[in-house]
Amino acid sequence: MNKMNFSKLILIVVAIFIFSGCSAKYITKGEEFPRMYDQQPKSILILPPMNESTDAEAKDYYMTTVEEPFAMMGYYIFPVEMVSEIMKQEGVYDTDLLYNMPLDKLYEYFGADAVLFTKIKKWDLLYAVLISNLTVSIEAKLVSTKTSEELWKYTGTVVVDLSSNSGAGGLAGLLIDAVATAVSTATSDYVDYAHVANSKLVYTLPAGPYSESYMKDQEAKLVDQTPVQ
Amino acid sequence: MTKIYKLFIVTIVGFLVIGCTSPKKYLYNYGNYSQSYYNLKKYQTDEAGLELQKAMEKTIAESKNSLSKRVPPGMYANLGYLYLKAGKSSEAIESFTKEKTTYPEATHFMDRMIKKVEVTEGKNNE
Repeated sequence: MNKMNFSKLILIVVAIFIFSGCSAKYITKGEEFPRMYDQQPKSILILPPMNESTDAEAKDYYMTTVEEPFAMMGYYIFPVEMVSEIMKQEGVYDTDLLYNMPLDKLYEYFGADAVLFTKIKKWDLLYAVLISNLTVSIEAKLVSTKTSEELWKYTGTVVVDLSSNSGAGGLAGLLIDAVATAVSTATSDYVDYAHVANSKLVYTLPAGPYSESYMKDQEAKLVDQTPVQ
Repeated sequence: MTKIYKLFIVTIVGFLVIGCTSPKKYLYNYGNYSQSYYNLKKYQTDEAGLELQKAMEKTIAESKNSLSKRVPPGMYANLGYLYLKAGKSSEAIESFTKEKTTYPEATHFMDRMIKKVEVTEGKNNE
């Protein structure tokens, strides 16, 4: 490749970045989540996830990915496995019961400032002759146990195109690839992408008291997910 | 055009150098905790349970290797709960106590747990 072509390539890449940036609207943490800065929750109780996907195992698997990223944001996170087992013992493991539980009861039992509700919206593999995608989509919502107000909400989605790295050529090759993809996509891949989905949503959370950025990140920008009216 | 090309190379090299000189330290050192926790959910075997316990104990032992120099939130409590299920009441109480001294936010919940263990212990000793 000569230098001329290389420079052109760079210009194209830069242009793509600029254009794709244009389609997203940005907003600051302070504008989007003012209640986080007003109420300043210090501790978060993570409840077992609500599973809207077709994969029954997604709930147990996703649960193992949430504790670490939220703690890293500077909040006290209640022990996830212990909490979920206690909930089971108390007869409220079924997520519908859990999610309709009065928040003051959770405050009374655990002493948590806020509760994190997570919803697995997508955890699936779509594979056809020409396209195969793996999608993991998580909606997370933080609610105050004191005021019952929603403090923060964001969705992280990861779509992985599995059809791009074709080995064999032609239509037959595509079919072979599709089968190979389905076989090689073990459950561990989903969890890897769940970690990515988490990092896509957790960066929008205002930093907690154990973080150096606590009460200093109001100007940090994030992609506005509010639907256009 | 050659200038742009040079600038690009310099930028790339710059990124590489920065990447090399600052090894990233996180607020907490979780080690293998999340992976072991996932393995337990996936395989649900006694070995996986033991692996998780080991990962937790290692995380606690190596907690100084982090920005906060603290044991991650909930780690002592989760471990204490494993001890409790294994019938090791005094170790459980010790872990629950450490959780609340490290994180005062946990005091209410840990006190509730400690009280529960003590009541059960009392009954067993009668």
